[in-house]
Amino acid sequence: MGGLIPLTVRDLKRWYRNPVSAVVGVIQPIFWIVLFGSAFDIAKFAGANTPAIFEGAPDYITYLMGGILTIIGLFTGMFSGINIIWDRRLGILQRLLMAPINRASIVFSRILSSVVRIFIQVAILFGIAFVMPNGLKIVNGISIIDVVILISAVLMISFIFSSLFSIIAVRTTKMETVFGIVNLINLPLMFASYAMFPPDLMATWLSNVAKYNPVSWSSQSIRMVLIHGSLTSSEAHTVLIYMLGLLALSVFMLVMTYIVSNREIRE
Amino acid sequence: MDNSIEIENLTKIYSGRVTAVDNVSLKIGRGMIYGLLGQNGAGKSTLIKILTGVLKPTSGTARIAGNDLNKDSLKIRRITGVVPQDLTTDGDLSGRENLKLVAELYDVPKKEAEERIEVLLKMVDLYDVRNRHASAYSGGMRKRLELVCGLVNTPEVLFLDEPTLGLDVTTRENLWSYIRSIQKEFKITIILTTHYLDEVDSLADKLSIIDHGKIIISGTSEELKKSLNGDIITLKLKNDDEINKIGEFKNATEIKLMENKEIRMKVSNSDEILPVLMKYLSDNSISPESINIRKPSLDEVFIEYTGRNINAEQENKDYAKFMRAR
Repeated sequence: MGGLIPLTVRDLKRWYRNPVSAVVGVIQPIFWIVLFGSAFDIAKFAGANTPAIFEGAPDYITYLMGGILTIIGLFTGMFSGINIIWDRRLGILQRLLMAPINRASIVFSRILSSVVRIFIQVAILFGIAFVMPNGLKIVNGISIIDVVILISAVLMISFIFSSLFSIIAVRTTKMETVFGIVNLINLPLMFASYAMFPPDLMATWLSNVAKYNPVSWSSQSIRMVLIHGSLTSSEAHTVLIYMLGLLALSVFMLVMTYIVSNREIRE
Repeated sequence: MDNSIEIENLTKIYSGRVTAVDNVSLKIGRGMIYGLLGQNGAGKSTLIKILTGVLKPTSGTARIAGNDLNKDSLKIRRITGVVPQDLTTDGDLSGRENLKLVAELYDVPKKEAEERIEVLLKMVDLYDVRNRHASAYSGGMRKRLELVCGLVNTPEVLFLDEPTLGLDVTTRENLWSYIRSIQKEFKITIILTTHYLDEVDSLADKLSIIDHGKIIISGTSEELKKSLNGDIITLKLKNDDEINKIGEFKNATEIKLMENKEIRMKVSNSDEILPVLMKYLSDNSISPESINIRKPSLDEVFIEYTGRNINAEQENKDYAKFMRAR
């Protein structure tokens, strides 16, 4: 897809050259893990029962890690559409539309740059989670396959949500529309999932809804490999189902993005 | 001279209602600067967007350097350069990075691109500020950057859509000389849309007046001026009685009533007719508020063929208002 790499590089240059967005990108993961992980430390009420309630996790931060990694993918991905609208409003999109490139690469470059930013944040988050007092504890070790599962889950959740919001941005001229939709759905997506809390602590109806939320699939997959290390066959089966669900949804969203952006993108 | 662009019955209707381009047919010879003159909203930019593959026509077709618009859109985008009306460069990138990005989008080999970018930056006097962010450039510098962005791929046809819109007089003249040198240097076909009469008069080898999406008339500036067949005398009168009396003046080839009790009179030679007219005014007790004599100009050509004045000043104000509202 001609133009994909130069446009991705351009998007990343704009990101790291803007001191506010670069600093926010670094600080945000710190806030997530330090503030959210400590303030919502519901494990302190569980005491010795913590591993039983939190699916084997020794503490809440270790439990939360899978959720936070997913939410970073979700939130950063959601805003990838914004840059397309900016380019439209600044006139830059007009130049890109005149270039002899596959128009889908205009949209895919934003998705790709979101993914790069997400992984930078994920790396920072891991670093902080390890060094902070009472932080992340990987008690059962972590294999290459576990790392692949972790990266794939974050990658797929990033693709799903950045594709979704890029499709919205392909024809939208108003920032307010995207912000409105982001605000409307980000909290339900986060709280109607297993990102923050185990199903047993949720109302039954919410837990039933959360089962079908891709945020839950990603959170649970990452969580299981971080907490358990080598998985039992039933755990591996659960992770496989979740990962296949994420894969199917990612492929669907990426194909949709390709079709919609090629056909519908307008200046 | 063979044709660089051949447009056949091109029409664009927006949302099934607004006809922006109405059955336009036009042939543009290779290597010339061709002007499309019209007011804002006349359909010039839409026509350019169709010819550059940004918009699809509702009907009709065009061939650009032998490539069919409806079949070879990607090829056409590859061999054309465009300088759109709005700024399209990225303010967060330097002048050089903007050009490099365009070169990459057009698949210009890296080494060739670097050499070309250096030549282009020097040509428009931006070489010394090449590493500065484009957002720090002045309006004129930014326009020059836009101009060379359209040249990075060494196009066969360059489209300039209102290239000097909103710029001051000195910057405009400056930009004109760059456009002339580009045409001389690269020997490419340049299509220039504008609503500035002096711009098209100064730059274009040939032009078309476009109004309500239609080509009204085409020719060289001289041909169009000659087509007026004489000079124009305008008189501002006070009442209908005077208007009726002036309507009977026999020595004019054409008399038209314009807005605000203004009479537009076409005469074969104003130097000879003026004394006769003055006597007629005196004999009939007509005392005009003003009399204006004009030799054929593009301004007059525009009024003649569209029935309206091209008010560049108002258009500039409208444009500034529009840009502020964005």
